[in-house]
Amino acid sequence: MAIAASEDDDLSIRELRRRLEEAEETLRAIRDGEVDALMVRNPRREDEVFTLEGGTSYYAFMEAMDLGAAAFDEGNRLLYANKALRKLLRLPMEQIDANHLGQVLDDETRAEVRSLMDEAREVKKTTEISIFLGNEELHLLVSAAPLQLGANRGLAVTFTDITGKVRAAAAEASERAAHSIIASANEAVVVCDVSGLVTHANAAVTSICAGSPVGQLFSDAIPLMLPDATGLLQAGDIVALAVSGTSVQGIEAVVPNAPRVKDVLLSAAPLRVGSDKVSGCVITMVDLSQRKAAEKQQLLLMGELDHRVKNTLALVLSICKRTASTEETVDGFQSAFSGRIQALAATHNLLADRSWSSISIAEVVSAELEPFVSSAQARLTVEGLDAWVMPRAAIALGLVVHELATNAVKYGALSNESGRVLVNVTKSADEAWLGIEWLESGGPAVRAPSKRGFGQTVITRSLQYMPSGGADIEYPPAGVRCRIRVPDQDVVRVG
Amino acid sequence: MIEDMTGAASPPEALKLVLYVAGQTPKSLAAIANLERICAETGPGKYVVEVVDLKKSPQLAREHNIVAIPTLVRQLPTPIRKIIGDLSDREKVLVHLKIGE
Repeated sequence: MAIAASEDDDLSIRELRRRLEEAEETLRAIRDGEVDALMVRNPRREDEVFTLEGGTSYYAFMEAMDLGAAAFDEGNRLLYANKALRKLLRLPMEQIDANHLGQVLDDETRAEVRSLMDEAREVKKTTEISIFLGNEELHLLVSAAPLQLGANRGLAVTFTDITGKVRAAAAEASERAAHSIIASANEAVVVCDVSGLVTHANAAVTSICAGSPVGQLFSDAIPLMLPDATGLLQAGDIVALAVSGTSVQGIEAVVPNAPRVKDVLLSAAPLRVGSDKVSGCVITMVDLSQRKAAEKQQLLLMGELDHRVKNTLALVLSICKRTASTEETVDGFQSAFSGRIQALAATHNLLADRSWSSISIAEVVSAELEPFVSSAQARLTVEGLDAWVMPRAAIALGLVVHELATNAVKYGALSNESGRVLVNVTKSADEAWLGIEWLESGGPAVRAPSKRGFGQTVITRSLQYMPSGGADIEYPPAGVRCRIRVPDQDVVRVG
Repeated sequence: MIEDMTGAASPPEALKLVLYVAGQTPKSLAAIANLERICAETGPGKYVVEVVDLKKSPQLAREHNIVAIPTLVRQLPTPIRKIIGDLSDREKVLVHLKIGE
């Protein structure tokens, strides 16, 4: 018995020693922070877990938050994700781990969040990411900060949904861009709401409307007349058409009260912002003043052209008739007629090059003499011909010079090798004309023509369309001499 | 939560281990991860491991008189041994389990 009793005592001592060691080890582990939960007995004598960080109230608070929040331990293991985060990222409601969270992110954002978490071990860090959940893009502000969980160091990560804010900022930027575009447009741009009230107008509108049209009905602010439209279409109808979804393009309109631009090309289109619903209309008005002025100029030019063509045809008919009456053979007629028509054409060409404004006498004389003699040749001397004349005088002068040159080539100074022609300008203050003198010398002895031909008539009468104009021709034996008078009214400037 | 972490049929000489945890507290998660690593490194198939979540089944604490969590119990071979903490000290764990004895 004694032996047995002794063995029992030994066992008790060994067991007690083991229990003491276990108790000491438990206390040491608690003191050293190696455990974070204890088994306690509640008032109902039931065992339950008591977590040392007192997490119950913390979790209850986190669950009630609208902000998505998660806690990670030192090894980046997900300890907890609150309801708001599970809902935001469409995570399962139970048993989630870091992998679930990782799957929501793509490679780029996963790396970004991981890097943020690594950096946030010491100090709070924040970044912005965007992810796609299905087709929906979500913009998130992710913030990570060190977190002490009882004896453990962890990381608190919050996810704030800023999608609405990002979209609002994008919409605001887009609106600013739209305003800049409207403001920068050269055309007048007016935006109306569905009731036709002007909500926006750019700077170009000030040339059409005195004062700001904003807040007024478009039809009142800018009263339009539509000359090409039937009475059925009025200015107000254009806004109504656009607001109902029908675009109107390129209607010419007149704005009688406009401060500067009265003729405009009007277009109106429905305004759709964000959805298919029409929220107003955009009206553009392009300045047609220059085009209208050009059209008027064109009409004037067409009238002028018609007048000139008629005059030219009458002149050609007259030349034809008179040439035919003075030439005795068909060949003679053909030669004389085509020469005169070519003379006419030469001056016409010069005038066309100058848009039928004034041209210089030198140019007319050179063009007419060119078929016969070059101004570079020593036998032709041209002096002081830098005066400019109007088209009427230029045509007449061209014909006169042509006749003189033809005559000189046939009978005068240009019919031999030694003759010379001098053309110079004379101008006296007491004369109502500009004088041009044609002097031949060195040619065969001149005899006055036995009968007056058409050439002589052309020379003397072409410039007689005014009393001060005309020409006198003389036939002294030394050489033909002709004094041409260009009326002052047709002389533009004397060089 | 009771799991067989080896996933294999238990050989007769296998160590039977029970890891007591309390839900997903940081130390519980760390202890699970550390034990998984030790088992994998020192010979898969050598252990039969049960993980007992006392948050779900608190009454199971009495079997091994568990007070602090996490605690790892070597149930077999006897005598029973307990290692308290998150098992981050690998050498201490191996000594207590007498691996290689």
